[in-house]
Amino acid sequence: MSGAVPVLEARGLVKEFPGVRALDGASIACGAGHVHALVGENGAGKSTMVRILTGNESADAGEVLLDGQVVRFGGPREALAAGVTAVYQELTVLPAMSVLDNVMLGQERTRRRVLDNRERRRVAREALGRVGLGDVDLGRRAEDLSLASRQLIEIARALARETRVLILDEPTAVLAGEALESIHRVVRSVAAEGIAVIYISHLLEEVRELADQVTVLRDGKDVSTGPIAAYDVPKMVREMVGRDVDSVFPDPAPHGEEVVMSVAGLRPRGDDGPGLDFELHAGEIVGLAGLLGSGRTRLLRTFAGDGGRSGGKIAVGGREVRAGLHAAIDAGVVLVPEERKVEGLALGLPVRANVTLASIAGIARGGWLDRRREKRAYEEERERLGIRASGPEQLTGQLSGGNQQKVVLAKWLRTRPRVLLLDEPTRGIDVGAKAEIYALIRELAAQGMAVVFASSDLTEVVGLSQRVLVCRDGQVVGRLEREDVDPEGIMHMAFGTGAAA
Amino acid sequence: MSTAVATTARARQRPRLDFSRVARSGLATWIVVAALVLGLTVHDASGFWTTGNIANVLTAMVVLGLVSVGQNVVVLTGGIDLSVGSAATLTGLLAAIMIDGYPERAIPVVIAVLAIGALIGVGHGLLIARVKLPPFVVTLATFFILQGVAFMITSSPTGQVTKNLSNFALEKTGFFPHAFIVLIVAVALVAFLLYRTALGRNVYAVGGDSEAARSNGVPVTSTLVWAYVVCGLLAAAAGIMLAARATIGSPTAGQGLELSAIAAVVIGGSSLMGGRGTLVGTVGGVLLFALIETSFTLLQIEATLNDLIRGLVIIAAAAIFVSKDDR
Repeated sequence: MSGAVPVLEARGLVKEFPGVRALDGASIACGAGHVHALVGENGAGKSTMVRILTGNESADAGEVLLDGQVVRFGGPREALAAGVTAVYQELTVLPAMSVLDNVMLGQERTRRRVLDNRERRRVAREALGRVGLGDVDLGRRAEDLSLASRQLIEIARALARETRVLILDEPTAVLAGEALESIHRVVRSVAAEGIAVIYISHLLEEVRELADQVTVLRDGKDVSTGPIAAYDVPKMVREMVGRDVDSVFPDPAPHGEEVVMSVAGLRPRGDDGPGLDFELHAGEIVGLAGLLGSGRTRLLRTFAGDGGRSGGKIAVGGREVRAGLHAAIDAGVVLVPEERKVEGLALGLPVRANVTLASIAGIARGGWLDRRREKRAYEEERERLGIRASGPEQLTGQLSGGNQQKVVLAKWLRTRPRVLLLDEPTRGIDVGAKAEIYALIRELAAQGMAVVFASSDLTEVVGLSQRVLVCRDGQVVGRLEREDVDPEGIMHMAFGTGAAA
Repeated sequence: MSTAVATTARARQRPRLDFSRVARSGLATWIVVAALVLGLTVHDASGFWTTGNIANVLTAMVVLGLVSVGQNVVVLTGGIDLSVGSAATLTGLLAAIMIDGYPERAIPVVIAVLAIGALIGVGHGLLIARVKLPPFVVTLATFFILQGVAFMITSSPTGQVTKNLSNFALEKTGFFPHAFIVLIVAVALVAFLLYRTALGRNVYAVGGDSEAARSNGVPVTSTLVWAYVVCGLLAAAAGIMLAARATIGSPTAGQGLELSAIAAVVIGGSSLMGGRGTLVGTVGGVLLFALIETSFTLLQIEATLNDLIRGLVIIAAAAIFVSKDDR
């Protein structure tokens, strides 16, 4: 990029939202033909920066330059017209529309004001071909396609435009294997055409492999930038978090002898296997490993009284618990679900209301809500869990992923559970907040709570668990004690290759 | 940092031909229509398949069809227009008063009244897209306002349309009422708009997810304004047809049309959340209502049961057709 004017540059961007300074003087410069990685924890300001660069949001201070000229986008249409295209983290593929209509969204080709279907198909085919979806049926509705295909359609839509800057906000978060590879191929070929690419990802190995340059955002500022060769993964993490994160997984304290939950012959609804026998001790952390669809989530839900049972018994503290959510919650078994935004939180309510959602009886006095008590409850949890919010009244939807997860935890912890079930506790949460969640889980266990969590992240399973159960095809196919746990062994069991237990 | 394992995206596998899909395509409505026609044929073929009865069914479709087709465009954007009945009332009344029996005024007044309908739409569109008021609230307000203006003008039937206009509204050739041409033209125009222009794609996109549409460069404001303009224009056309049929203007002519129109759209398989639905389905819904309305004499049922039966049909349609994953 020697001396050349960068295609897209942002200088000293500042953006304030109620209670949060999302950007605090952040800059980035991206040259033609370069892949510029933008990394940072959740809440560091990456998405806000993207929204400003694409005209979705206007900056309170600072400027955006295109080819060295200051530009001010009044909306996404102006940014698109100037050649700044983005693929957003939240998919904007419309489920009810066809593949063709989705690719051509916002860039219809018409002749004498009538849709030019031949041209539309040609453009869409070409763009889809570039992302490796050359043979998809253009008439199919997007909702019938896999998440990966929808992500690729989103990218094809961007490629169909005359674009000079392509911003990809976590395009690979939902992808694996071949789809991931094809996105990497696309990014490389797009950059080779001279397009400036800004690439946002949490997968730092991926960033190392793909990017030429990297900018690290922390707390709304660009704390570090340079050629990727100068950054190994630990250095990026250090810059992102502002400290070393090596002691993520200390050895756990030994668990107690008391059996908190015992499960006998348990078969989740629709399961005709032999049933699961399992004992969970006070202070124990058990990891559930397995591929997606292996039955991890179903097992957790059955523990939590959700989804029904085909047979078997669950007892907590020696007393049998009937199937049903309320019975489970009364017995002290609670589940922090994977889809926290859908199942775990009322995003439109203030944080205090979510914190007390499950324990509202303790807040109310004779049916009347005691605001002071509720606020106190919020303060307690904020302190205990380190929730970062502007105050009890901030809307939960405005918090970062990690903080939202803490709110879900707070909600259940206030019910004083004996068994805490977590489904993908750190999905979509950045490195720093992950470490906090791990420490929290450890601490809760140390206080005597029993924890069962399911995760796709093997590092997490191996590092956090005292015991690991491996699921496959709806059954628990393997049990490993901490000293025997290794990632490879788990994978073999999960896939059903090699020696099964 | 993390050994991400098995983050394979869940392939959403659905049967290709599920029932909600059929309902959404509008086909299901036509199946019900066909069943009803079959039933009426079996019941009384000689009574049902007369040119007079067919003409009655088609005539009953015209006014409801015009407002329903317009309503459909708005509903596809995720909105709703509760004012179409009042708009039809007011525009019909104005047409009758302004024409007042003078033949040379007919054409300019019709054009002026259509323009008023379009203007009402512009107002709706701007309040909804620019001021960002909810469509329900905006059009609930104009539902009262337009009706109120009509009552301000007169509390009893007044004005007069020309002979030609009323003849056009009432005459028929065989089983074919001439007024039906208006509906055919309207459906053809809206179909062209929805399926052959960029505006049509944008209507579906805005209804599907307006934020996604906006960030991909879809002009959301103008799309919404156009949708409400089409709806207002067709409501005015319906008003003119009402006045033409009655030969005079009435301050209550279009009452209740808005709810019938919404019902026809919903029965036709469109989602009130927007983004899903077809014009074919809506026309089917209109035909279904016209059949029910005209069948009372044929079946020797009290005509006063019309509303009751309509309501039951809506609940049945909703229970059967509306898919569970409706968001």
